[in-house]
Amino acid sequence: MNAPDNLHSHAVSRGSDDHGATEDSRMITAMVRLHSALDATELPFDLPGLDDVRIARTQMVDQLEDYVIPRLMTLDAPLLAVVGGSTGAGKSTLVNSLVGHRVTTPGVLRPTTRSPVLVHHPDDAHWFGQDRLLPDLTRVQHVTDDPDSLQLVATEAVPAGLAILDAPDVDSVEERNRVLAAQLLAAADLWLFVTSAARYADQVPWEYLKQAAERSTAVAIVLDRTPDDAVQTVATHLARMLASRGLKDSPLFTVAEGKIDNQGLLPPHHVADIREWLDTLAEDGDARGAVVRQTLDGAVRTITRRTYPIADAAVEQTAIGLSLKADVDETYDEAIAAVIAATADGSLMRGEVLARWQEFVGTGELLRSLESRVGGLRDRLVNTIKGKPQQAERVTVAVESGLETLLLEHAEAAAERTHARWSQQAAGAGVLADAPGDLGRASRDLRRRAERMVRDWQLDVLDMVRTEGADKRTTARFLAFGVNGLSVALMIVVFSHTAGLTGTEAGVAGGSAVLGQKLLEAVFGDQAVRALAERARRSLEQRVSVLMHDERARYLSLVDAVTVHPDTPDKLRQAARRVDDLRYQASARAAEASPGEPL
Amino acid sequence: MTSLLDGARKLVTRGTDLGERIDGLEAAVAAGRGRLDDALLDEAATVADRAAGRLRLSAQHTVVAIAGATGSGKSSTFNALTGLELSSTGVRRPTTSWATACVWGSAGAEELLQWLGIPPRHQTMRDSMLDTAREDRELDGVVLMDLPDHDSTEVAHHLEVDRLVELADLLVWVLDPQKYADAAIHDRYLAPLRSHAGVMVVVLNHIDTVAEDRRQSMVDDVRRLLDLDGLQEVPIFAVSAREGIGIDGLRGEIASRVSAKKLTRQRIEADLRSAAGLLQEASGTGKVRRLSPTRVDELEDAFADAAGVPVVVDAVERSTRLRAGRATTWPLVSVLSRFKPDPLKKLDLDLGESGAALRGSSRSALPATTPVQRARIDTEVRALADDASNGLGAPWVESVRRASVARLPEVGDLLDSAMARTDLGADKLPVWAGVVRVLQWLLILTALGGAVWAGLLAAGGSLSDEEYQVAGMPLPLLLLVGGVALGIVLAIVCRGLVGGTARARAAAADRRLRDEVHTVATELVVDPVTGELAAYSAVQTALRAALR
Repeated sequence: MNAPDNLHSHAVSRGSDDHGATEDSRMITAMVRLHSALDATELPFDLPGLDDVRIARTQMVDQLEDYVIPRLMTLDAPLLAVVGGSTGAGKSTLVNSLVGHRVTTPGVLRPTTRSPVLVHHPDDAHWFGQDRLLPDLTRVQHVTDDPDSLQLVATEAVPAGLAILDAPDVDSVEERNRVLAAQLLAAADLWLFVTSAARYADQVPWEYLKQAAERSTAVAIVLDRTPDDAVQTVATHLARMLASRGLKDSPLFTVAEGKIDNQGLLPPHHVADIREWLDTLAEDGDARGAVVRQTLDGAVRTITRRTYPIADAAVEQTAIGLSLKADVDETYDEAIAAVIAATADGSLMRGEVLARWQEFVGTGELLRSLESRVGGLRDRLVNTIKGKPQQAERVTVAVESGLETLLLEHAEAAAERTHARWSQQAAGAGVLADAPGDLGRASRDLRRRAERMVRDWQLDVLDMVRTEGADKRTTARFLAFGVNGLSVALMIVVFSHTAGLTGTEAGVAGGSAVLGQKLLEAVFGDQAVRALAERARRSLEQRVSVLMHDERARYLSLVDAVTVHPDTPDKLRQAARRVDDLRYQASARAAEASPGEPL
Repeated sequence: MTSLLDGARKLVTRGTDLGERIDGLEAAVAAGRGRLDDALLDEAATVADRAAGRLRLSAQHTVVAIAGATGSGKSSTFNALTGLELSSTGVRRPTTSWATACVWGSAGAEELLQWLGIPPRHQTMRDSMLDTAREDRELDGVVLMDLPDHDSTEVAHHLEVDRLVELADLLVWVLDPQKYADAAIHDRYLAPLRSHAGVMVVVLNHIDTVAEDRRQSMVDDVRRLLDLDGLQEVPIFAVSAREGIGIDGLRGEIASRVSAKKLTRQRIEADLRSAAGLLQEASGTGKVRRLSPTRVDELEDAFADAAGVPVVVDAVERSTRLRAGRATTWPLVSVLSRFKPDPLKKLDLDLGESGAALRGSSRSALPATTPVQRARIDTEVRALADDASNGLGAPWVESVRRASVARLPEVGDLLDSAMARTDLGADKLPVWAGVVRVLQWLLILTALGGAVWAGLLAAGGSLSDEEYQVAGMPLPLLLLVGGVALGIVLAIVCRGLVGGTARARAAAADRRLRDEVHTVATELVVDPVTGELAAYSAVQTALRAALR
C-alpha cells in the first residue's frame, strides 16, 4: 500500500525538461492522486449491490498499484505478456514450448500452476525488481508453490524487450488461483489467452475476454489442444464468437494437439506462429510501444470511467450514515418527548403518586407539617413508632418510582425501535452485526443512572424551594418545618402544570394540584411559584435529555466510527477529471502531430 | 382431490416412512409460516410438493440424469450407455441444447416424462426399437437423460440443468481430465449437493487421453476434490465413451442401483432431509420453553397495579370499616362520623344502587392507561417474552416478542371494563352489623326512656320510691346508665368484628379483581405467547418427524 507514495516522489523527482516526460510525470501525479483518493474511499455500509462496487474499488486500487502507475513510470520497460486461461487448457506447456525448455511445471492434476512464473531476457532483469510491477508478490529465483511469490526465470530463449508470465487458471476450485489470475491479467500489457477445444465456449473465460474487450486490452487468443480433425470447425466458431464479442482484431493462433516430448514440450513447429509473432513484436519498438499504449490507455480510461460510480456510491454512503443517525435521533427524540409529555400532562399524577398525594393532603399531614414544630415532631414520633415513612417521603418515593419506570420503559422501547429500524436496512443490519453487546436493549446500568437522575432532580427541587424560601423572612418559620412538604407540592404542580387536562382527569389531578399551588402561592406569591415550577420543569427536561443522550450515543458512535468523509466523492471526481483532462490534452497533441490518423 | 392424492401417496410410500417425512415437512412449513423466513418456507414447500409429485408417478421407473460441463462427453457417454447414436456429439461447443431421454420399458413412463418436461420428440422408447432381442434387460425401468451443459456461455442451458438436476433420481456427473477441477461444477453443484451423496455417481471421461501410468493419480486427485466437497461416498468411474473403456462397469453400476428400486426414495429422502435441515437451522434447536408461573404472576401483578387493584382493595377495606363501624358504633358517634367521606365514593367506584348502571360508562369514559402504568406493563411483558424465548432461534425470539405486544394497545379498555364489571361486594352492610345497629338504637331508646322516666319521677319526687328500686338503684337510672354503658361496650366489642369483616371483604374483592385481571392478562399476553411457543414446538416435532 506504501508503494504508490514512493512512486509518487519518484515520479516527481523524475521530471525533466523534455516535454513528453513532464506530461508523463503530470499524468503519474494525477494517477497517484486518484489512487490515494480511491484507497481512502471506504464503503462501510452494506447496501444491495454494493459488493460489486467494493470489488471494483479493490480491483482498481490493485490495478493502479500493480500496473498503471509502475507502467507509466517505466514506459520503455519490456512488454509483459501474461499467459492466462482455464485450468487444463495447456498454459504451462505452451510457455515451456515457446521458451524452448522447461521453465514451469505442466501436469495432469488440476490446477497445476499455483504460483506465477515470469520468464525474461537476462538483460531485462532490472525491470522486474520488487518495486516495479506487482509490488506485493515476493520475487524468488526457485520453483515454488507459494501463491504470494513470483518466480523469475532469466533466459536467452526469450527476446529482449518481452517477458512471458505463466499465470494460474481463472476457473478452478482454488479460489486463490482465480484471484491471483485476475490480478495478473490486470497487470498485463498483452494477454495470451489460452483455451482449448473443450473449453472455448466456457462462461468464465469469456467473462474475462469481455472485460478485455471493454478495456481495449491487447489480446491474442491461443486455441490449444485441438484435435486435427476439429481445428477447422472450432477455429471458425471461435473466430465468430470473438467477432461478435468485440474482439475481432485480436489475433487467433491455433496449436494442434501434438505429441509432447519427454521434456513436456510441444514440437517447435506447433508453436512457431506464436513465437514468430512475439519475436516480431519484441524487435519492433514502435509496435511494442503501441501495444503498451493501447492497453495502458484502456486501463486508465476504464479506471477513470469506473471512478464515477464509486464516487456516487460514496455519496450514497454519506447519505446512509446520515439517515441511520436520523433514525436514531427520531426514535430517541420521540422517547424524550413521550417522557416529558407524560410528566407534564398530569398523567403521572394518577395512580400511585395521586394516591400518596391524596393521603398526604387528606391526612392533613401537609398542613400539620406546616403548622408547627410540635405537629411535625409528633408525626415523626408516631411514624417512627408505627414504622411508617413520613407521608411526604411516601409521595417522593412514589414520584421516584413513577419517573423511573417511565424513563426505563421509554429507553427500552427506543432501543428496541432503533434496533428494529436499523435491522430492516442492509446498512443498519451490517453495522449492528459488528457492534458489541445487545443494542436492542437499554444499557445495563440505565436503572442505576435513572434512579440517580430522579433523585438529583428531587434534590434540585428541594434546593430551589429552600433558596426561594430563604429570602422570605416572613415565611421562614414555615420553611423551617415544611421544606419537604413544599417541595412535594412543587413536584405535584410541575406534573400537572400544563393545561392539557380534560374531564375527569383534570378533576382528579388538577383538583389535587390546585391545593399544592394554593399552598405554594401562599408561601411564595404566585409569580414566584410560576417561575419555580418553570425552573423545576426545565431542570427535569434537561436531565431526561442528558440521560437519553447517553443511550442514543451508543448508536451514534457506531455510525461515527465508520462514516464516510463528505468530501471524499468530490476528491474522487476531481482526481478522475484531472486524469481525463490530461488524457484529452495528450490525444489532442497527438492528433496535431499526425493529422488524419485515428486516435 | 386431496384425499385422492393422499391415497396415491400412501400406495407409493407403503412400507416406507416417506409419507411421514413429507407430512412432517409440510406441517413444519404450515406451523412456521409467518414466523420463519418466507423464501425458506416456500423452498421447503416446493420440495414437499415435488416429492409428493414424484411419488405419485411411476414407481417402476428411475430417472437417471447425465450432467456435466460442455465438452466433457455427456452425449458420448449417453450414446455409449444406450448403444445408439441418439444424442448428437460434436466439436462445436456447446453441442447439446436440450435434454434428451431414453426410456427402457415405456409402460407408464409418459406421465413421468411429462412431469420431467421432456417433449416427445426428445424421447426414445427403447422397447419400441427392433433390437430388443440383442438388448439385455438390465436397464429395464431406466429413464436416462442427457442434460445440456452448465458452464457454457449459453445461460439457458444452465437453467435447464438446474431444473432437471432437482428432478432426477440418480445423478451421473461427467468430468474430464481438462475440466475436473472447475469451480463451476464443484462450487455450484457438487458441494451444495453433498446431502445427496447417496444418489450420485461421478464419471471421469476421456480417460484414454491420459497416459496409462498417470490415470490412477488423476482418479486420486478427483477423489481428493470430491472429499473436499464432502462427497466421500460417491464412487468414481474412469471411462472413455469414445474407446468404450469402463462403460460396462458404469452400466452395471447404474443397473444394480436401479434394480434395487430404492433410488427414487433415496433421492426424495435426501431432498426432504436437506430442506428440513435448512428449516431446522433457521428455526434453531433450542428446547421448547414453557412460561414460568412466577413470570405470569409478575405480569398479572403489573396488570393489577395498572388497573389500580391495590387502591380499590384498600378503599373497600376502609369503606367497610367506615360503614360497618358507623353502623355498629355508639349511634351518637356515628352521627358525627357522617362528615368523614367514604373512600369508595371518592374513587368513583361505589355510586350505590342507582349508580350501578352508570358505573360501566363512567369507567370506560376514563382515558387510556397512564404512561407510567403502561410503562410498567411493557416492562413486564418484555421480561415475559424474553423469558419465554430464551434459547430459541432468532426468528422465534422475534415472533414471540411480536405476539406478546400485538394486543397490548387494548389493555387499558379491557382492564377498565374488567374492573367495572367486578362486584366489589362492599355495597351491602353485613347482616350482623344491621342487628347490632338495631340493638344500639334499642339501647339508646332504653337509656332515653330511662332518662325521661327518671326525669318524670324526679319531678314527682318519687325517684327514690321503693317500688322503682332494683338492686339498690332506681330502675330508670339503671336503664339510663345500663343503656349507655351497654351501648359503649357493644361498640367496643364490635370494633374488632368490623376490622375482621373489613379485611375479609377486602380479601374477597382482591380475589375477584385479580381473577378478572388474570382473564385479561391471559387473553392479551399469555395466550398469544403460548401460541407462538406451541407453534415452535409443532415445528420442532414436525421437523423431527421429517428428519428421523
